[in-house]
Amino acid sequence: MPDNWGFVAAAYGLTAVALLIYWRRLAKKEREMEVFKRLTAPRP
Amino acid sequence: MVKALGWLAAASVAAGLVMALGVAPREVTQGNVQRIMYVHVPLILASYLAFVVLAVASLVYLVRRDEAADRVAHASGEVGVMFVGLGIATGSIWGKPTWGTWWTWDARLTSVAILFVMYLGYLLLRGTIEDRERAARYCAVLGIVAALDIPLVHFSVYWWRTLHQPPSLMKPGGFTGSSSILWPLLVNLIAFVLLYAYFVARRVRLLRAEAEAVA
Amino acid sequence: MSYARRALAVAWKDLAVERRSKETLNALVFFSLLLLFVFQFTLGGDRERLAAVLPGVLWLGFVLSALLALGRTFLVEREHDCWEGLLLAPGDKSAIYLGKLAGNLALMLVVEALVLGLFAVFFDIDLGRALPGLVVVVLLGTLGLAAVGTLFAAMTANVRARELLFPVLLLPVQVPVLLATVKATEALLLGEPLAAVGHWVKLLVAADVVYLAVSLLTFDVVLEG
Repeated sequence: MPDNWGFVAAAYGLTAVALLIYWRRLAKKEREMEVFKRLTAPRP
Repeated sequence: MVKALGWLAAASVAAGLVMALGVAPREVTQGNVQRIMYVHVPLILASYLAFVVLAVASLVYLVRRDEAADRVAHASGEVGVMFVGLGIATGSIWGKPTWGTWWTWDARLTSVAILFVMYLGYLLLRGTIEDRERAARYCAVLGIVAALDIPLVHFSVYWWRTLHQPPSLMKPGGFTGSSSILWPLLVNLIAFVLLYAYFVARRVRLLRAEAEAVA
Repeated sequence: MSYARRALAVAWKDLAVERRSKETLNALVFFSLLLLFVFQFTLGGDRERLAAVLPGVLWLGFVLSALLALGRTFLVEREHDCWEGLLLAPGDKSAIYLGKLAGNLALMLVVEALVLGLFAVFFDIDLGRALPGLVVVVLLGTLGLAAVGTLFAAMTANVRARELLFPVLLLPVQVPVLLATVKATEALLLGEPLAAVGHWVKLLVAADVVYLAVSLLTFDVVLEG
C-alpha cells in the first residue's frame, strides 16, 4: 500500500493547528483580563 | 499549578509524537497511514472523558448550585467538542486512503457524529444566553439530557446498522493487541488526557476571573 | 388547586386557544400537504422507490410538524407577556409541563392522523393490517418528541435566535426516537407483525420513560427564571 504521508501530515497538522489556535485564544483572553483588572483596580 | 500541568502535557505530547512517528513500526497492511490512529483514538477517548466530566459537573451544579461545577462543565464542553471534532476529522482523513471514502454511515461514525452535534448545541446554548445563572441552569439540564441520551443513541444506531443487514466489510482500524502499537497508543492517550486537563484547568481559571470581574 | 387540575387547566387553555385560532393546526396541516405534493412530484412515478422511502418521508413530515408545533408551545406566554406569570405560579411547576405536554400531544397526534390518512389515500397504501402496530409506534414516537420538545421549548422560549436554537438542540437528541420509529414503520408497512419490531418498541418505551422522567424533574429548574 502506498505510504500516504500526505494524509498523515494533514491529520497531524490539522490537530496541531486547531490546538494551537485554542491555546492562543486562551492566552489572548487572559491578557485582556489582566488589562481589565489593572484598569478597574481600586485606587490606592 | 496550571503552568506545571501545561509543561507536563507538552512533554507527554512531545513523547507521544516521537513514539507515533518514530518508534511505532510501519503497519503491515495499512502502511504509515495507520499512524493517524495515534492522534485519532486518543482524541476520541479524551472527548468521551470530557463529556462524562460535563455530565457529572452538570449534575453537581443542579444539586448544589456551585458555580465552580458550572465552570468545569463549560470548559469541559469546549474542549470536548474541539477534541471530538478533531477526532472525526482525523478519522475521516485516515478513512480516505484506507477505506477509499471520507465518510461512511457505520455505527461508530454515526454515533460520534451525533455526539458532536449534540454537544455543539450545548455550546450554542451557552453562547446564546447572556445571564450567567440562567445559562448555567439551562446548560446543566441539557448536559444531563444529552448524557442520558447517549446509551439510547448507541443502541439505536447499533441496531440500525447490524440487524437485518450484512456486517460491515470495513473494519475500524482496530489493533490485535500487538505491543509495538499498544505503547505508542497509550503514551499518546495519556498525552491527550493531560492536554484535556490542562486546557480545562486554564479555561476554568479564566472563567473564574471573568466571573469575579463582574461581581 | 390540585396538581392534576392545574395540569389539565394548562392543557385545556392551550387547546381552547388553538381551537379558536387554529393557527398552528392550519400551518401544520398545510405544511404536511405540501410535503405530500413535493413527494409526489419527485417520486410519484416510481412506485418501488416511493414505497422504500415512504416511512422516512412520513416521519420527516411528522418531525417537521412537531418542530412547528413544539416551537410555538410558549408563544402565547411570550407574546402576551405572561412569562413572569409562569415563573410565579405556585406549587410544583411540573404540572405546567404536563399540561403543555398534553396539549402538544393532542395537537401533534391530530395532525399525524390526518397526514397518515392523506398519505394512505394519495399513495394508495393499504394500512389495514399495519394500523394497530402503526398506532403504537406513532404514539410512542410522538410522546418521545413531545416530552423533550416541551422541555427544550421552555428553555429556548426567551433566548436569542430561538427559532434556530430549538431544532438544533432537539433533533440530535431525538435521533434514537427517529431511528426506531422509521425502522419500525418500515417493517410494519412491509407487513411484518409488531412483535418483529419488538426491540424498536422497547427502545421507544425506554426513551419515553427517560425523557419524561428527566423533563418532570428538571422543568422546575428551567422555570426558575
